[in-house]
Parts: sequence; C-alpha cells; structure tokens
Amino acid sequence: MNRVMLFLVAVAGVAVVVVASMSSYTINPTEQAIVLQFGAPLAVETEPGLHVMIPWVQTVEYIDKRLLNVEAPPEEVIAQDKKRLVVDSFARWRIVDPIRFYQRAHDKETAIQRLTTILGSSVRGVLGDHVFSAVLSDKRDRLMRDIRDTMNQDTKEFGIYVVDVRIRHADLPQQNTDAIFKRMRQERKREANEFRAEGSEISQRIRARADREVTVLTAEANRESDILHGEGDAEKTRILGDAYGQDPDFFAFYRSMQAYEVALPGNNTSVVLSPNSEFFRYFLQSGGAVPRAPAHARKH
Amino acid sequence: MPWNNQSGGSGGNGDGSRGPWSRGPSGGAGGGPPDLEDLLRRVQARLRQLMPNGRVTQGTLAGVGLVLVGLWLLSGVYFVTGREQGIVQLFGRVVAHSGQGINYHLPWPIETATVVEVTRENSINVGYQQPTDSSDSQHPLDVPSESLMLTGDENIVDVNFTVFWVVNDASAFLFNVENPDNSPDKTIKAVAESAMREIVGQSQFEAIITQDRALVQQRVRDLMQKTLDLYGSGITITRIQLGNAAAPEDVNDAFRDVQAAIANQEQMRNEAEGYANKIIPEARGRAAQIVQQAEAYRQQAIAEASGEAKQFLSVYQEYKKAPEVTRRRMYLETMTQVLAPMNKIILDDSTGHNVVPYLPLPDLQKHPEAATAQPQSGTSAPGAQVTVGPQP
Repeated sequence: MNRVMLFLVAVAGVAVVVVASMSSYTINPTEQAIVLQFGAPLAVETEPGLHVMIPWVQTVEYIDKRLLNVEAPPEEVIAQDKKRLVVDSFARWRIVDPIRFYQRAHDKETAIQRLTTILGSSVRGVLGDHVFSAVLSDKRDRLMRDIRDTMNQDTKEFGIYVVDVRIRHADLPQQNTDAIFKRMRQERKREANEFRAEGSEISQRIRARADREVTVLTAEANRESDILHGEGDAEKTRILGDAYGQDPDFFAFYRSMQAYEVALPGNNTSVVLSPNSEFFRYFLQSGGAVPRAPAHARKH
Repeated sequence: MPWNNQSGGSGGNGDGSRGPWSRGPSGGAGGGPPDLEDLLRRVQARLRQLMPNGRVTQGTLAGVGLVLVGLWLLSGVYFVTGREQGIVQLFGRVVAHSGQGINYHLPWPIETATVVEVTRENSINVGYQQPTDSSDSQHPLDVPSESLMLTGDENIVDVNFTVFWVVNDASAFLFNVENPDNSPDKTIKAVAESAMREIVGQSQFEAIITQDRALVQQRVRDLMQKTLDLYGSGITITRIQLGNAAAPEDVNDAFRDVQAAIANQEQMRNEAEGYANKIIPEARGRAAQIVQQAEAYRQQAIAEASGEAKQFLSVYQEYKKAPEVTRRRMYLETMTQVLAPMNKIILDDSTGHNVVPYLPLPDLQKHPEAATAQPQSGTSAPGAQVTVGPQP
C-alpha cells in the first residue's frame, strides 16, 4: 500500500514537472520570443524570465534581441569624382519587429546575407554621390548616417533597424597608394632640398657679412692710418719749415752738403772735374780766380 | 547490509557528478540537463549491477535521492572575487548583482549566475602585434592593413595604438551586444579602427605625427565611447595610447632625409658662424695694428723732424756769427769727404770736347752732352759730374 502510494506520488510529481516544463518557457536577456499558435505568430514576449504557454497548441520561437553585427567585405567603390577607394564597413542592427523578421527573414543567417548585400549597395550608393575628399573630412559622420538611413529603407520590411554604420577602412587601391607614396617622397625631397638650399643661403649670408665687416674694419683702419700719416707729415713739415724758414739760403747750402755726403758714396763713383770749378779755386793759382761765384747747389 | 557499504561505493559517482556542481557558478545554461540525466541513468545502472537480484529497497532509493538532492542544492554555491561581479538570473531574468565573497543561487534550472571581471583593464592592440615567443623580433610587428590610413590632406600615415577598456556595466556587457566570434575585443577593435580612421581623416598629416597626438587620442576615445554607448555595450574606454604615428615605411627614408637636411642646415650655419667668428676678430686685430703703426709713424716723424730742426737751428745759430767762413769751411769739409774716395778725372774745359769719347767709362758715354754741358753750367754743384747716386 505504502509502496503504491509512493509510486503514485512519484508519478504525479513527474507529471507535474513534465506539464510545468511543457507549459512554460524562459526568456534570456539576450533574446525575445514569438509565441506561435498552430504555427501562426500570436504574440511577442520580450521580457526576460519565466512565461506560460499552452502545451501542444502553442510553440515558441526565439529571436535575438541583442545588437547584432554585419560586416561587408572590402570592396572597391567609385566616388563621384571617379576616384576609387576600397571600403570595408560594418553595421550594427537589431530586430525590432520579431514577427515580421520571423516571417520575412526567417532566421539570422538569412538576414545577415541580405544585410550584407544591402550594406554593400548602400555604401556604394552613398559614397558614389559624394566626392572622395568627403570621406576624409567632417562629412564622414554624415555619410555613415546616410548609409544607415538608406539601409533602413530596405530593412524595414524585415523588421530590422540598423542602429549604426561604420566605415572601418576607406583606403585607396594599391596603385593609388603607390602614387601617394611617390608624391609624399617628392614633397619630402623638395623640403629637404629647401632646407639645404636655405642652409647654404644662411651660410653665404653669414660669410658675406663677416667678409664685409672685415673689409670695413680694414678700410677704417687704413683711413685712420692715412690720417695719422698725414698728421705726422704735416707736423714734420711745419716743424722743419719753421726751422729752415729762418734762413732758406743757408738751409739750401747746409742740406746740400748733407745730401752729397749721403748720396755720393765713394768707391765705385767716378767724377770728372773741371780745374775751373770752385773746389779747385786755389788748385792752379793762389789768386783764387774763379769765373763764377761759389757754386752751392740750388736744388734741395 | 552489504549494499550499505556498496552505497558508499555509489559515492564514487559523486566524483563524476562534481563536474556540474563546480560548473554551477559559471552558469553554463546548456551544460546542466544532459549531465544530470546521464548521472541518474548511470546511478541506476550501477545500483542494478551491484544488486544482481535487481531489487532496490526503499531506503536505498531514499538515501540516493537525498544525496542527489543535497548535491543539487549545493550546486548553487559560487564565489565572486573582489575584481568580479556576479549576475544572477532567475529563469533568464536578471534578479541580482552579487557582491564579492561566497554567494548562493538557486540551483539550475531555476537560477544561474555569471561572473564577470569588471575592474581589470583590458587592452587591444591596433595596427601592430606583440611579438610572439617564437618570433625572434623584440619589436612589435606592424600590421600595415590596420596601421596605414589616409589623412585629411591625402597623405598616408602609419598609426599604431592601444585601446584600454573596462567593463562598467556587467549585465549590459553580457546581454546587449552580439560580438563577432563571441569576443568583445573584435567589437571594440572594429569601433577603434573606424574611429581612428575617421579622426585621422579629419586631421593633417604633419599635425598627427607632431603636436596633435594627444588631441587625436582624446578624440578617438570620445568617438569610441559615443559609439559604444550607442550600442549599450557596458564598456568604458579608459584611454587610447598612440604608439607610433609616423610616415609609412615606404617613405620613411625621405622623411629621414628631411631630418638630415635640417641637421645639414644647422651644420652649415655653424660653420659659417665659426668662419665669421674667426675672421672678424682677426681683422679687428689687424686694424688695430695698422692704426698703431700709423700712430707710430706720426710720432716718429714728429720726433725726427723736431730733432732735425733742432740740429739745424743749433748749427744756424753758430753759422750766423761768421757766415762766410763757416759756409766755406762746411763746403770744403764736405767736398773732402765726398771726393776723397772717388775716382777723379780733371779735364780742362777746352779739351773736354775731344776727350770725352775716349773716356774708359762706358756709363759716361751714355751722357756725353752732360759732360760737355757741365762746364758752362756753373749752377751745378761743385763742377762734378756724377755717374751714380740717389737724389738727396
């Protein structure tokens, strides 16, 4: 009896657990649920926790509630000004209408496939309407919002809202990159040449200024020197003039005598003398007959 | 009761069941059910093996049941360290954030708990990789596809940086965002790359590699934070550390050459200044010398003139006393001195014309008219014709 009771209790307990588990479902914070009645969507439950349903009649389909990710592979895009760039972008989206999503997109994988296509075409579309330089400017933010809005027009029917689109890479194709490298290198070369040219300019300017200063210094010194020479000569002239001026005639005689002594060194000099000259006045006759007055030099 | 002892043996099954217990705190939602069912089946099978007759008494069942229930209840024990935060979910709904220490949650499937590290600062490298142990390079490896980017003035810059982040809201971090490959790093890295390229795309090349580094860091951080907040990611970007921001490898030599050119310029300037600093003082010295020499000449001239004047005046004073005699005396003395060492030829005026051509003095032949002219011109000093000698 006891054992029968125990068995019944056990069976009842198991039945309760089974029925309870069949008539309830849990929702995690990362997901939301669509309650399907005979396969047709009936309600959406977004609140996490334990929920009740009718077993066998109703089933539950879980839909992700998180912010989801989709990435577009790197793709060459032509901007409005025909410049090409390689763009690699990603979008963040969430399912805002789970029933529509369940009906149109069915599952996440399908949705991501569609979104990848939509993202790619939106990027091409929006960037194609703008010049390349817009990507490299404050407009980039607006471009990304435009891409997002363009996507949302297409994703609305899937119950998807695109929260954010980010251009991850926006680079130039390899050949353009090489061209930029070449240009950068040329710019640097020009810059380096400029620095070097400036260097020699500075150098020459400094040297020239130094040379000028040297020339001026020397010239000024020479000027002063000439002035001093002049002063010296003037003073000399004045002093001698004062002295000799007292008797110009005697000066001429006196100075000539000095000059002969200095100017006519003895040895290799030959002199032809006339017996009539002053020196020989008494040479042949003691009377001292001389044709002319004593010949003292007039010169000097 | 031999089976009692055997039930002790059933405790051995507890070893196998410890897996889920210990897994409790980590809250693996999928890990529970198969293990528990599997465990029950294994316990039953083991008991049947031990009882060849297949009979299981009530007591045995109750005992086994109690042990299982006890272990099940114990599975709710979990630990949270000071650096972590626990999130308790009741049938999926977040009901509690547990603090540090020992904690308890109702056992699976009623409650689960997840522990997240919240204080640790995580880092992500963008544009470079830390060298692995196997590679011999000590330097970070550049990843050009991540590090090369266009600047606002259409140059290309090589940027490496590190993003530091912490979890600021554990439940948001866990539940709000789907991360590629379940790695929040990938989400953050994607946002970081996008933000850095956006900011660099708005900046000038020169500014990025020089004065605007701090500004770039700040702007990237702000932009990343704004984006991650929009995602509700529960992540705070603590800082951005800009490592290398320089010219790309391909053009680096050109950039280095610019540095070299700047150095050259400096060198040329220094050399020129060295030259100037050498020649100007030298010139000053020379100038001083010239002036001093001139001054010396002036003073010398004056002194000599004074001496000469004094000498003349002294003689003149005496001369005045007896002019005729003195003059003749001086003349004769001078002539004596001058003529004494000379070769002398004395010719009468009347024969001079014929004799001069035969003179043995070649020098005189050059000036025959001088020799003939001499006797007539008594003005010439004392009748002597001189071949050589400077002007007095």
